[in-house]
Amino acid sequence: MTELTDVAESDLRGIRDLDIDDVLAYVHRDLKRLPGYTELYKRYLRQRWDVYELDFSQDVADWRERMTQEERDAFVGISAGFHHGERQVEVELPVFMLGGSEESKIYMSSQIEDEARHTVFFDRFYREVVGMPGDSVQDVLDASFEHVSETFVGPFGLLAYQADELRKDPEDPAARVRYGTTYFLWIEGVLALSVMKITLTYCRERGFLPGYYTGFTATCRDEARHVQFGMRFLRDSVQEDPRLLLQIHETLRTILAINGAASRRLALESLGWTPEEVRRLMIRQLHMKLTDVGIAIPPDIREMVSRIEPELAGG
Amino acid sequence: MRFFTPEWAEAARAAVDAGPEREGKLPTYWNWIDRARAGYTATWALGVRETGEYLLLTWKDGKCAEAEITSDPGAADYVLAAGETTWRELREGADPGRVVMYRQLRLERGDVLAFFRVIYFFVESLAALSRIRTT
Ligand SMILES: [Fe+2]
Ligand SMILES: [Fe+2]
Repeated sequence: MTELTDVAESDLRGIRDLDIDDVLAYVHRDLKRLPGYTELYKRYLRQRWDVYELDFSQDVADWRERMTQEERDAFVGISAGFHHGERQVEVELPVFMLGGSEESKIYMSSQIEDEARHTVFFDRFYREVVGMPGDSVQDVLDASFEHVSETFVGPFGLLAYQADELRKDPEDPAARVRYGTTYFLWIEGVLALSVMKITLTYCRERGFLPGYYTGFTATCRDEARHVQFGMRFLRDSVQEDPRLLLQIHETLRTILAINGAASRRLALESLGWTPEEVRRLMIRQLHMKLTDVGIAIPPDIREMVSRIEPELAGG
Repeated sequence: MRFFTPEWAEAARAAVDAGPEREGKLPTYWNWIDRARAGYTATWALGVRETGEYLLLTWKDGKCAEAEITSDPGAADYVLAAGETTWRELREGADPGRVVMYRQLRLERGDVLAFFRVIYFFVESLAALSRIRTT
């Protein structure tokens, strides 16, 4: 196992050799301590990477010659969620930056830049490797939208409407906590990390797509900062006003209620994942955040969590 | 039939009440929608931003009971509005889920979390009323 300091300090070349499980461990290591916003901003300045340094030439060969049609379909089916997800969390974030402390605003500027860079990462991957057509970033997004499943459409749409609500009063603590629950806890803490684990484990075990592996593993390391910021924000909000816990609960009730809908089957077996494994992965991702941060949930939500359907796998 | 006329409103009511064609999507998805719709009671006001007119759809116990065109969304639980371009794109076959994800149809009034709890039922209703032939 790699030392977690390697995860913290690797440059893009070094990231290619990291094990995704170590990067996921790095995301969670600091959840109990939860660093402050300025510390996270300093870390960003050290860890920022250049998305245009990635080389996708081996990925193109792997995609065309070594992967099967089934593997390509499953890969596009799951990664399209974050092709759109990175854009969504980029464009909906500036409204959140309008509220909170000055330290929070400074940190937020770094996360907005991270998310923009992640959007470019997927734009390059879909354009150069998958071969989707388009002159603009929007064209390529439009080409991949048909592959985005309800698992993503619902939560991303919810975030868009919550951002619109927050725009009316960016300092409203309840609206900020509802928004933060969807953004940091669910989209980043559960959906993004699950997609990372599934696609990056496949790449690593098969030795495929080194450009994707490098870029999305670097993205995962950025995600450590985002999730830690978000959990710190939720924890501090509830400590300041315990009634805000109810806002987290109400948001989770909606997210979990819509989580079971899937209009088509996406077989992830070809990437090495059974529906039951995907289910356990998502539950585990959610539990780790809730317990490490000390967010208590009532029995009805616990019940909803245990019923999480592995619709990422279409089951 | 002309868009946003009383005749169209009645066709819209019938279309959302019948729901869209259940083809090409998993049965479990339609089960989810049936559960979301069961007992659903709320009023949706769907507006055109440029004209200020709204289609008012009243759901009672899972049935779409009434529809009218009005410039006053009044006591509707959820007031939404989109520009004429978005409405035209929907009638030309744009994906209603994408329209929601891109917030092209804005929630002007109403509880966001409660609205989203039935979101795919709403998306499929939008699909159904977009498919009415208009001139
Ligand atoms: Fe990201
Ligand atoms: Fe992020």
